[in-house]
Amino acid sequence: MNVLIVEDERSLSHEMEIYLTRQNFNCDVAFNGKSASDKLHTNNYDFILLDLGLPDMDGLDLLKEARKMGSEAAIIILTARGEVEDKISGLDSGADDYIPKPFSLAELQSRMQAILRRKHGLKSNVMTVQDFEIDISNRTVTFNGAPINLTKKEFDLLHYLCLHKNRVLTRIQLTEHIWGDVLEDDYESNYIDVHVKNLRKKLSAHAPTDWFETVRGVGYRINS
Amino acid sequence: MAFLMAFRKGALTLQVKFALYNALSKALIIAAFMAILPLIVEKVVYDHIDRRLTARSDRVLLIIQRGGIDDIVLEQDCSFESYNILKEDFVAIYPILDPTKSTSTFKIDNEAWSIEGEKLEHRIIRRPFTYDNQLYELNIGEGISSIEELKSTIQKFSFWMMLGVVIISIFLDLGFVSLLMRPLNKIIGNKLKPVPSPSSFDFTEVPSSTFEFNRLDQRINEMMHKLRDAFQIEKEFISNVSHELQTPISIIQNRLENIIIEGNLSEDVMIRLTDSQRTLSRMSRIIKALLLISQIENDQYIKTESIKISSLINEVAEEIEDRTNQREIKLMVNVDADLEYSPCNRALLFTMFFNLINNAIKYNKEKGSIAITLSNHNDKFQVEIKDTGIGIEQNQLGTIFDRFIRLNKNSAEGFGLGLPIVKTIASFHQIEVLVASEAGVGTTFTLVF
Repeated sequence: MNVLIVEDERSLSHEMEIYLTRQNFNCDVAFNGKSASDKLHTNNYDFILLDLGLPDMDGLDLLKEARKMGSEAAIIILTARGEVEDKISGLDSGADDYIPKPFSLAELQSRMQAILRRKHGLKSNVMTVQDFEIDISNRTVTFNGAPINLTKKEFDLLHYLCLHKNRVLTRIQLTEHIWGDVLEDDYESNYIDVHVKNLRKKLSAHAPTDWFETVRGVGYRINS
Repeated sequence: MAFLMAFRKGALTLQVKFALYNALSKALIIAAFMAILPLIVEKVVYDHIDRRLTARSDRVLLIIQRGGIDDIVLEQDCSFESYNILKEDFVAIYPILDPTKSTSTFKIDNEAWSIEGEKLEHRIIRRPFTYDNQLYELNIGEGISSIEELKSTIQKFSFWMMLGVVIISIFLDLGFVSLLMRPLNKIIGNKLKPVPSPSSFDFTEVPSSTFEFNRLDQRINEMMHKLRDAFQIEKEFISNVSHELQTPISIIQNRLENIIIEGNLSEDVMIRLTDSQRTLSRMSRIIKALLLISQIENDQYIKTESIKISSLINEVAEEIEDRTNQREIKLMVNVDADLEYSPCNRALLFTMFFNLINNAIKYNKEKGSIAITLSNHNDKFQVEIKDTGIGIEQNQLGTIFDRFIRLNKNSAEGFGLGLPIVKTIASFHQIEVLVASEAGVGTTFTLVF
């Protein structure tokens, strides 16, 4: 998968590059609109991660240019929050998604995978962990065909952890994924721990869940 | 009592006060005038009579000087008395026989005069004179019974005339005052009405030829201009600062994520990094909240959607279900009335209800309850969110919507922007937020649409 990161803040694009490279993406970085435009003309990308506030041009113009060239890349707009949120949502910008800054890299990756599933029709919409099957389209979890009744948040949590298998996700990363859409005045709660406890209880009714690891003081990890 | 009530704080308009003052002061003037009028009339009439009597006595003395007294004094006792048939006027001359005993001096006085056995009140001039070495006294009298009548006639006439003048002048005054006060009333009506923010203030000049009103209007406009600019600068500052902080926060956040993933760190370092991530997240949320508030206040959000309030609340309730379950709090939604609300911003309203219901959970007792009631009250749709929580002290109720006010200082949770967000979103939609609370019993938030 080829990714073009268009972001003038070098430290930021660097961290994105490190993360995505580790996830086996081939990354290319452009620090301004002109260089991005050049790269678009020479290479084919599956993803364009586009910061709108470029030093030499409006990111939206670059987006239109890419679409004009017939690029089929999935475009994710990275915005400083609120900047154009309303404008973008009302605007047929041709972007596939947009993520407000500051964002979590894990969140970015899950959005990219959601787009892939949507765009290309992933071979299977079912993830498995041990003998548990997670159907992403129907939002159901089954064990050997037997359905397990999870709440919306429990499902989101399990899904997110499975998406980042073998990696520890911190409580804050999980909280921001599950509650991130709502701006609330409750930043340090133990809701995640309670969700995990309930989730484990429901899963372990069917099979042992030692693969569902608690990393002390840090967060949770699903090993497989 | 009712009269005194009229003088309680701010009960009377300037115009009414002017009118009252006018009427009262004029009534007072009439009363005073009516009181002294009889005295004036009497004085004028007596002055007049006295002058006439003096002139007559002068003429009589002149006649005596020219023609001698004998032509006049016919009586045996050398006296003379003449009066007309109505006994209103008379002239009398008496010789004073024993001048040593006489006290006769020139004087004018009221006296009852006996004419043919009938005593009648007269104004009488007494004037002693000497003729042929004989001392005489001249008396000329004029009946004054008609004077009382004259007095009352004049009094009546002047009373009605003055009353008429006063009434006309009160109406004229009222008309003039109302004309005069029109610019002031306009200033009060247009400029001093509550506005949600200085930017929605009406800066139109109120025309007036009155110096004070012009000055007042100009100064209010100037002050509001300054206030508006100050607000604008503050809002832009918050917006710019928040915006500029997003990128550095992004960088640190992503770097922490990458370092944590690398994983080859000691447990202690991992825990400290995770802790830093949490701190950073807190900072990020504060900035997001400030930015949200300032962007709403700067009208950077749009209201174009339409939602059914009951379904929005059910959605929030579902989203938050895990939290109520966890604390075993019973959440009840009673829909007595519903509202298809438009235009609105759905995401903002969601955030508003989420924060209110989340507060009701957070500050509730274990196994408490939350009752959400949708109803019509006084022709207005309202949503009441009532919890059985710890409540808010009365002296804190006034500040709960202020930024960075945390009611429970011991609690590490929250940073005091939840209710300011609620308030801002509500004002943006012109929804009124009321709060009632009793410490230890619970809090009720009421949203009036």
